[in-house]
Amino acid sequence: MSYQEENISPIGRSLLSRRSFMKQSGFSLGALGLAQLLSSDGLLGASDPQSFTGKSPIRPSIDSDNPYATRDAHFESPAKQVLVIYCPGAVSHVDTFDYKPDLAKYHGQKPPGLPAVTFEGPTGNIAKPFWDFKPRGQSGKMVSDLVPNLGAMSDDFCFLHALNTQTSAHPQGENFLNTGFTMEGFPSFGSWVTYALGSENENLPAFVAINDPRGLARSGKNNFGSAFLPAAFQGTDFSAKQPPANLKRPASYSKQDDKTTIGLLQKLNGKHLEKYPGDANLAARIASYELAGKMQTSIPEVMDLSNEPQSIKKLYGLESGSELKKEYAKNCVLARRLIEKGVRVVQLFNGSDSSGGNGISNWDSHSNIHKTHAMQAEIMDQPTAALIKDLKSRGLLESTLIVWCTEFGRMPFLQGNGTGRDHNPDAFTCFLAGAGVKKGHSYGESDNFGFKSVEGKSSIYDFNATILHLMGLDHERLSFYHNGLERRLTNVHGHVIKEVLS
Amino acid sequence: MHFIALMFLCTFLSRTFADIDYESDILPLFEDYCYDCHGPDKQKSGFRTDRRAHLLKGGDSGLAALIPGDPSGSYLMEVITSDDPEISMPPKGGKLFEDEIELLKEWVKQGAVWPGQMDDKIEEVTDHWAFQAITRPEIPAKAKNPIDSFLNKRLEDLGIPKNKQAEPLALIRRASVVLTGLPPQPVRVNDFLADYQKNPDHAFASLVDELLSSPHFGERWAQHWLDVIRWAETNGSESNLYRKLAWVYRDYVIRAFNQDLPYDDFIRQQLAGDGMGVGEALGFLVAGPHVPAATVGQEPAAIRQARADRMDEIMQTVGASMLGVTMSCARCHNHKFDPISIQDYYSMTAVFQDIEFGSRFPEFSKNHPRKTKANKIWHEVAKNRNKIRNKASAWEEDWGGYKEVHWKPLEVVGLKLNFSSGYVGLDEVEIFGLPSEDFNLASATNGTQVRTDLAFAQQGDRFPVSRVIDGKYGTQRWQASYNKEKKQKPWIEFTFEKPVTVGRLRLSSNREYYYETDYLEQKNKFNFDEFLVNVKLSDGTWLEVASIEKIRNLMKREKSLSEAVGEINHFAYKLSEEGPRPSFVGSFIEPIVTQVLHRGSPENPRDVVLPGAPKILSGVLGVDNDASGRARRAKFAEWMVDEKNPLTARVMANRIWQHVFGAGLVVTGGDFGRAGAPPSHPDLLDWIAAEFSTPSRPDGTPWSMKELIRLFVLSDAFKRTNLPSEIGLQKDATSSLLWRFPPRRVEAEVIRDGILLASGKLNREMGGRSYRIHNVKKTYAQWEVTNNFGSETFRRMIYQERMRRVDDQIFTAFDFPDCGQVRAKRPVSTTPLQALNLMNSPFVVTQSKYLADRAMNDSEKGDLHAAIRRCFELLLSRQPDKQEFTAALKVSSMQGLEIVCRALINSNEFAYIP
Repeated sequence: MSYQEENISPIGRSLLSRRSFMKQSGFSLGALGLAQLLSSDGLLGASDPQSFTGKSPIRPSIDSDNPYATRDAHFESPAKQVLVIYCPGAVSHVDTFDYKPDLAKYHGQKPPGLPAVTFEGPTGNIAKPFWDFKPRGQSGKMVSDLVPNLGAMSDDFCFLHALNTQTSAHPQGENFLNTGFTMEGFPSFGSWVTYALGSENENLPAFVAINDPRGLARSGKNNFGSAFLPAAFQGTDFSAKQPPANLKRPASYSKQDDKTTIGLLQKLNGKHLEKYPGDANLAARIASYELAGKMQTSIPEVMDLSNEPQSIKKLYGLESGSELKKEYAKNCVLARRLIEKGVRVVQLFNGSDSSGGNGISNWDSHSNIHKTHAMQAEIMDQPTAALIKDLKSRGLLESTLIVWCTEFGRMPFLQGNGTGRDHNPDAFTCFLAGAGVKKGHSYGESDNFGFKSVEGKSSIYDFNATILHLMGLDHERLSFYHNGLERRLTNVHGHVIKEVLS
Repeated sequence: MHFIALMFLCTFLSRTFADIDYESDILPLFEDYCYDCHGPDKQKSGFRTDRRAHLLKGGDSGLAALIPGDPSGSYLMEVITSDDPEISMPPKGGKLFEDEIELLKEWVKQGAVWPGQMDDKIEEVTDHWAFQAITRPEIPAKAKNPIDSFLNKRLEDLGIPKNKQAEPLALIRRASVVLTGLPPQPVRVNDFLADYQKNPDHAFASLVDELLSSPHFGERWAQHWLDVIRWAETNGSESNLYRKLAWVYRDYVIRAFNQDLPYDDFIRQQLAGDGMGVGEALGFLVAGPHVPAATVGQEPAAIRQARADRMDEIMQTVGASMLGVTMSCARCHNHKFDPISIQDYYSMTAVFQDIEFGSRFPEFSKNHPRKTKANKIWHEVAKNRNKIRNKASAWEEDWGGYKEVHWKPLEVVGLKLNFSSGYVGLDEVEIFGLPSEDFNLASATNGTQVRTDLAFAQQGDRFPVSRVIDGKYGTQRWQASYNKEKKQKPWIEFTFEKPVTVGRLRLSSNREYYYETDYLEQKNKFNFDEFLVNVKLSDGTWLEVASIEKIRNLMKREKSLSEAVGEINHFAYKLSEEGPRPSFVGSFIEPIVTQVLHRGSPENPRDVVLPGAPKILSGVLGVDNDASGRARRAKFAEWMVDEKNPLTARVMANRIWQHVFGAGLVVTGGDFGRAGAPPSHPDLLDWIAAEFSTPSRPDGTPWSMKELIRLFVLSDAFKRTNLPSEIGLQKDATSSLLWRFPPRRVEAEVIRDGILLASGKLNREMGGRSYRIHNVKKTYAQWEVTNNFGSETFRRMIYQERMRRVDDQIFTAFDFPDCGQVRAKRPVSTTPLQALNLMNSPFVVTQSKYLADRAMNDSEKGDLHAAIRRCFELLLSRQPDKQEFTAALKVSSMQGLEIVCRALINSNEFAYIP
């Protein structure tokens, strides 16, 4: 089905623009208002929608024959695209970006006033960071030796040190971070943004999820699914080594077979459409085959890293370190290429569920954190830093928001008498960078042990409200009617963290 | 500090509380501190302080702000004294002064005297249409079918011309897809066309009756119900484990639709079927996702939260499917839009407190199909046991989840197991008497004691031996290992309270894994091997009644014996597939007394509530917290189908309408509340609701779903063409007034099933274990699609194993639900991924080939022309026209007939209801 631009049928070409199509169709379609189209799909509830905050909801106007059309943000904002780097398993903030000298001071002691039992069982003694911290960059931000490459870029980052979440369990934590709800079945952040803003690139999916080479994270497809939003807004998942399912022409078919199929299909659909002039849904379906054809060329192109110069391969570490690191590094290059092409949302995973290979699968480190976090950091640090640096040098950070995140943090003390750290939902660190974000800034503080947030405490709702805001979207208004409610990414909560906005 | 405290004390003393006057003492406080947000002009959180009755009722939190005489129970006092920034009032400008707080407290204590308003009360009333009683409206005009009377009247009033009746070809395809989800077969099409020529109405009516009595009807309509309740075969959440035999519920729903079980009974059975011989119907209550207890961690608060979340899944299921109301809103505060209070929510959770997400033996009536099958299988088991009994003194059976040892029954006072393996793990040991008896003599509840030597204990007796007789299956078990110093292997000894007859024993290592889940790499491992069974006789002497080693040696020698045991093991497996076995249709727990959870938090339980339904719908059930779970649910079911609850009939009649015409009269089929859409035809909705529950037609069956569907499908509205018209589109672009049959794309299932039907590969076998498309996985791993196109998958898609949130790599792109949230209506989206899947997936590629082969086989030898026509007729129920034929012929001769099939499968015509 790899047809080129010139192979597009006249009818298909005209369908790519709905307006011209409507003009041709001979019907007066003034009444074919969008509201009616939407309500026919049950996408609208009461005609006089109410929201919890009293603000009127904004339901983006989805053109049913081109759901990916570019749509306006709610307000001006520098960020047009967003790259989310998600580290499943919970990165230890006290071993990376949240420097707590008291941990060394109280090393080996029973922590005063801390609980006897956490997620996996009894608590142990305070443990100092497993890596040394050093001042980095102009700002002198203290970052550990576990992530030296990211540390070196601290001047570009805005850290949030007082995040907290609602759960200590991974799947619920993943759901909460990526869908705004701990329970199953809510649309992912990326699908909300795609629903709101559409795409800037006709030939590639609007939202791409690049899964870890080891597989999906624990909440699986929830992290990039569309749940009750139309399937058009789900993330398309592929990685540097794995194209989307069914993208390639089947082995048993020739190029000519594809061309002929399309030719016949166009004839059949054209005749069928004659009976239903002006039917936008039929037209949309015809157009979707055209877009699919374009994706068959554009996706392999964007996946092909062979023409990347040696300097780039070196920067990202494509040819050094562990096999997993090399693969992740390729995914990082792919992420940059997708951002370059204007893909609206790129979600890059650094970790899978706990059954992955090579001894570790993600950042979860209940035992031997010294070994497992080190293995994970070896994969993540250099390529991620290179990706952000590369985007910066190409000027893409002017219009791209970077979100580096994890579902919760880890405890300042050991788990039982062991060698790892348990889950900490009450304080952890994520960072933002790029368009619209303060540089070389840290917001919020955890207590002296990194156990609980104390200053500038921010919930996941606040975090998501903020990244939507950075994309020019009002989290209180971006909504979708589902089953009696104007659903939002932030439910009925969340405040934009103004302190991180540049 | 001391000084200030003293000052306050002086202030208190200087007042005499006896003479608190509302006007001069209390009103100023409300005015100063509260009126800005909770006064006559503004009522934040639905709360106001300017009327006594409003204080008595409270705001959205659902807590009474004022309980006269009880300051500590009054929420008003709580918020003005609290330090919690989330609830502390007033929110700005600091707290009330101590003396002011004391004054309020005293006022409340004295009965909150408020002159002139002492008898005021707020009665919850609602004028929202959906909560009003159903009154059967007059049928407006004369038409054969009352439905048309209502619809036509509206169209005529608006001056919208009605489309004419569709061609018979469109009618048969439309009716077949809507009613059975399968396009018609060419032979049936030809017959219908011939009948139609003679008598159109008769031909169509008999077609409809035929389709309604097809077993495929239930397969089609069950899916609609399963969508709403997001039924799936896995837990969702972390390990997303498979729910073993959850599909018995799916089969129940299909059967219910096929047998036209009246909807009121359908409701009764799904809420309380354990008392009606259809225990599997309770699968309804546990259809949603849940977080298993094992994965929420060790913190008690997290465990309580998880249980509250599971209850909420049940509330969502019941609310969205039967009531058409979003109950979940009232979990934390009174419903914002609808007259559902937080007390209503928790009263409803009280109804379901005995339900837990898990497995049990479903209660089956004697004539239940699974029971009938099981009886036959048990008969075979008994036959084989008799064969063995004559030749062997003891034998061993493998029942998958556990092993059984049988010997000749005798009276004993104790029993001992000596294991030959160095490591033993047992979750439960059960001991029985005569073969026919199921009374567990080993259970601790029967006074039996168990002991072992602590020398075998692991990790300081972390796995105590008492667990083998505690009645609980799973990971909470006894573990023991070889003791080097004593050179002893593990043993356990049971002492009975009094002499008992024993003849059979059952052991397992983790029966929960076996009963509750499947398709795991680590399943069905026994952590024991050979052992001796010794019994202690009344005179104190020990006697060996079974030795696994000896049994196994005997089996090796005696082929007839090992064959008989093999037969039993085979029947044990068969029984787990076909008979009553532990199935994931909910388990029972002791119902707790339910309390309102303030702000939805299990850490903040407040007032006790009784099991009940929403008050606004007369939801007092007359059961208290001593009632059994089943009694609570049965009463609730009776309320659900009682006419004082008008939602039940409206919601289901509307849902049936939606699946016939594409959209409901209320387009928000899962929400009949204020936030939902109003009905397009209020009178018609009430008429169909009334006709549903109390039919006026002669011989009408109350609550018959098939009869209601028949009524809809036989209307003129159903039979109109779906072609556009200028006036129609101008005045009613969505066709919701049904001047035409609204154009509509078919669901994922119809595409897949239709392709299989056309290729001749559809396996019509009904029910049973779902066909597999995924791997066998590790506990903590994702399901992966391994094969979604092989011959074992050629069944209807309702039988495809349904893993929550897993992309099946073809049809998920067609808005097939992820089963995470309730889904009253699937969105319809059009994406390039759909195109790629339907062009390139192995399923479509192989099916195109099968279809081409079939078309060739069905035609005269080598007659390509006939084969092309056959392809059109198999997929589209019609012949190609001249142009189409020429184009298809050209493609077939150059690229092969399968390319034509591939194009046809991808065509818009195939994807749309004509």
